[in-house]
Amino acid sequence: MDSKLTGKTVLITEATRNFGKDLALAFAAEGSNLMLASRDNPEHMEQTAREAEALGVQASTVQCDLSNESQVEDLVGQCVSRFASLDVAINNVLFPMPLQSLEEIPFEVWKRKFDVETTGSFQLFKQVIPQMIQQQWGRVINFTGVDAFNGADVMSSATEMGLVGLTRGIAREYGKHNITANCIGPGGIENQESEGLHPVEPSQRNSIPRRGTPEEIAFLAVTLCSEGASYITGQCLLADGGKHFL
Amino acid sequence: MDTGLAGKVVLITGATRNHGRSSAIAFAEEGADLLICTRSSMDLLEETAELAAKSGVKVVTQQCDVTEEDQVEALVKRGMDEFGHIDVLVNNAGWRARGQLLDISNETWDTTLRTNVHAPFLLCKATIPSMKNRNWGRIINYSGIAAFHGSSGSTLKMANLGFTRAVAAAYGKYNITANLIAPGSIAVERTPGQEIPAGHGTATDNIPIPRQGFVEECTATAIFLASEQASYITGQTYSVNGGAHFL
Repeated sequence: MDSKLTGKTVLITEATRNFGKDLALAFAAEGSNLMLASRDNPEHMEQTAREAEALGVQASTVQCDLSNESQVEDLVGQCVSRFASLDVAINNVLFPMPLQSLEEIPFEVWKRKFDVETTGSFQLFKQVIPQMIQQQWGRVINFTGVDAFNGADVMSSATEMGLVGLTRGIAREYGKHNITANCIGPGGIENQESEGLHPVEPSQRNSIPRRGTPEEIAFLAVTLCSEGASYITGQCLLADGGKHFL
Repeated sequence: MDTGLAGKVVLITGATRNHGRSSAIAFAEEGADLLICTRSSMDLLEETAELAAKSGVKVVTQQCDVTEEDQVEALVKRGMDEFGHIDVLVNNAGWRARGQLLDISNETWDTTLRTNVHAPFLLCKATIPSMKNRNWGRIINYSGIAAFHGSSGSTLKMANLGFTRAVAAAYGKYNITANLIAPGSIAVERTPGQEIPAGHGTATDNIPIPRQGFVEECTATAIFLASEQASYITGQTYSVNGGAHFL
């Protein structure tokens, strides 16, 4: 089935982390041009861009700290000036923290996590949504996690649920402009450990008793951004092997 | 039914009017001592204290900006000095950003972040050690219907939901429960800066119970969730919204 993503411009934040590279290559395979952003690790981001270009699309990279408003403005500005559009925003924001109990978390650490993941996402969409309104078409994907629903980690439960709220807000407020906003909640995916998150073992509660793959997450993202998904909005789709049912 | 709240110490933030004042009076009627605070309206807070003290309980008032770590620590220290323990935390103080995503200023966003997320974090962090110590505690956070209905301005109230679940998950073994009350359209006296523009937020004609709710209807839920009988309810959201939204 044709996703009709050919020629669309896809912005991916934190493209060197989490599932960023898999997402970039999956959208490139659909023929989308890419604007990749990352807080750090520019060499890794460049390499992803070159691999995407080998698939016949254009790809640009920008270093950007989402908690810095002017850097976010610059990111969206560069995207629109390079590609003359911004159709899909994949907010792959992630500010991993070691697992700590509430009583151990310093207030400064708590605030930094919210500045990057929550306020950073707010800043990003304040820049992105006007462009999508102008185009009367847009797709927003936020990444949340199973923690939001099972309360496993105090900081990520709070920030991830915040992203669910922001997604629903964008969906409710801008649906009339053909903008959809959805959340993907991965759980127990192969590469999560390597990113410094606490390990997620496939538990006995998993309906599908194995780890998931980054490709399975990228497929879900591409599907939700396709033309055919135009009536799905404000939803949170968990891709966690059926561990938690919403 | 005996709620088991007599002799407990209840900390209520923003206890100057509406939910805060109503719950202060209701907890006092159950025989609980109170530690109540406000950021700036000390005259209103003292009024609440007088109303609550009629039930014969001890009421301690303190000015506190609950988004500031040192002030929260000072508030809880005062409570510990006066009472020796804090058993129930009602995070009532809240702030809602009005309008859609593109209407929300950075300043408003920051206020909602600090009030709806940072304050409950600081207050839980400061009071949970006392609750753990006595192997009993109740935490009640406030959200709102808009968070569930979809509203960018309520993003941080959703964050508070995730936080509440995590606190519930982590501290259930100490008999500490954490729950959320999500009021719908309630007839309240608006805090300056929180007025609802005409035509917004009060459309109750088409909901199952076709009227606005009363503050006391939320307070009753708070008393229930804090009671001894609610000891197996944790990590949940209690909607008090006339059926305007089903979870």
